[in-house]
Amino acid sequence: MVLDDVFGDIFSSVDAVALFSPSGSYYERFADLDELDVVVVGTENTVGAETFIELPLEFGDVAERIRFGLEGGLEKGVIEDGDVLACATSVFGDGIDTVSRVRADGEIRTGLYDLFAKSRPEPEVIKAVLELAIELGKKGQKGKPVGALFVVGDAGKVMNKSRPLSYNPFEKSHVHVGDPIVNVMLKEFSRLDGAFVISDSGKIVSAYRYLEPSAEGVDIPKGLGARHMAGGAISRDTNAISIVLSESDGLVRAFKAGEIILEVDPEAY
Amino acid sequence: MDWQAFIDEPAVIAAAVLALGFVVGYLVGRLNKELLTAAGVAEAVEGTPFERTAQSLGTSTVELVARLSSWFIYGIAILTALHIAQLLNTDDFWLRITGFVPRLFVAVLVLIVGFIIADKLELVVSEYFRGVKLPEVAIIPKVVKYSVLYVAVVIALAQVNVDVLALLILLTVYAAGIVIVGTFAFKDFLVSSAVGIYLLLNQPYGIGDRIRIGEQAGIVQEVDIFVTKIEADDEEFIIPNRKVFDEGICRVREQ
Repeated sequence: MVLDDVFGDIFSSVDAVALFSPSGSYYERFADLDELDVVVVGTENTVGAETFIELPLEFGDVAERIRFGLEGGLEKGVIEDGDVLACATSVFGDGIDTVSRVRADGEIRTGLYDLFAKSRPEPEVIKAVLELAIELGKKGQKGKPVGALFVVGDAGKVMNKSRPLSYNPFEKSHVHVGDPIVNVMLKEFSRLDGAFVISDSGKIVSAYRYLEPSAEGVDIPKGLGARHMAGGAISRDTNAISIVLSESDGLVRAFKAGEIILEVDPEAY
Repeated sequence: MDWQAFIDEPAVIAAAVLALGFVVGYLVGRLNKELLTAAGVAEAVEGTPFERTAQSLGTSTVELVARLSSWFIYGIAILTALHIAQLLNTDDFWLRITGFVPRLFVAVLVLIVGFIIADKLELVVSEYFRGVKLPEVAIIPKVVKYSVLYVAVVIALAQVNVDVLALLILLTVYAAGIVIVGTFAFKDFLVSSAVGIYLLLNQPYGIGDRIRIGEQAGIVQEVDIFVTKIEADDEEFIIPNRKVFDEGICRVREQ
């Protein structure tokens, strides 16, 4: 076996195996692997694995996907700083087709996992809003790129640090992100300026809010506009996180505590 | 012997009825199968133990029910034929049989449906409780399953004229017990949800308002059907909606 000699380096003496969204039968094959820990990473625990790390999104970028998985594993204590993992994931097709050798490094923590798991709003809500922003970025409003700002969580405080720009279309309504009709509504309302305010449990509290946080000490990259500044500042001033879709470069960015935690290109999904 | 006389012969009519009965029975069976499949019954019962048992016997729930209806019609055809041919010339027997066959049919159908509903409910309930990592909770799906089965069995037995009075009394006691315990245990939830509906419809306060309920004051963060969450500087109060009505709402004006 010549190939094993060459590629053997990739999976020799690893501490654990991380399977990214494995199929049931694929996972079974690892069941009687005694000397290694098997960690399953994916959007859903379809195989009923014992150690499971949930991905908030089916990350298109493999490096991002693996980084998030490792960060989640470190955070949960499933893997330790310095462990070497063989990460099996899919790059081209539906099934697992790639193995890469990665060293879990506690230093490079970006807070990506914290953004979902340790934020005030529920992870499903953040996930739904992020998906919404990505979809909005992909399609735009009638073909034209749109910008949008979603402030998620700590809604009471956010409401007290903002004022209405117009009548609130969500007044006395009880819609939640993830409800089927909501995506269309939000798309329509994103035409007007202002932020969407969403509560911890995902209720859409208001649209057309003008945010008035104190922008002291918020440091965002130069070149980003007022929308990003407002989003960054409100996430620093309250316990909310903000998800911003940029009108100019089309990227979706998530802010927590005034810092950019996540930057994704909607086109990549 | 002319043609007319041949047709009037009871044996010929009986044979014709028999043939017709078999054809109709077969067609009804097929039709039932198509209807049940189109109605998505096959997918609905998938994964239930009943379906799995049926599968292991080389059949399926849909097929069983369809075949049951066929058999029912075959049975009627055979009995009618026997009656016409006057092979069994006892009206008393005939009356009893015609009364009993449909009941037996319904009883079997009720049992099958009962088994499937019980299995399905067990699956749904255990799925619902899967998030609760408490081993004792595993008993609830079982209780649900056997309660449904019990009702199905009582109905089926009553159909075939078995005396079920004692079983019915047991059922009544059980149901009354559940209702009484339920209302007692969930009284606060009922009151809270009634108030919650009012709060959601009329919105005397909304997210972001500063309010005081009894001793607790702060900014409203969340209102749902059972509780209101209000947050002060470093405390978050989760107040049952029942209490909101008991204490009254105080809206704090901004200076």
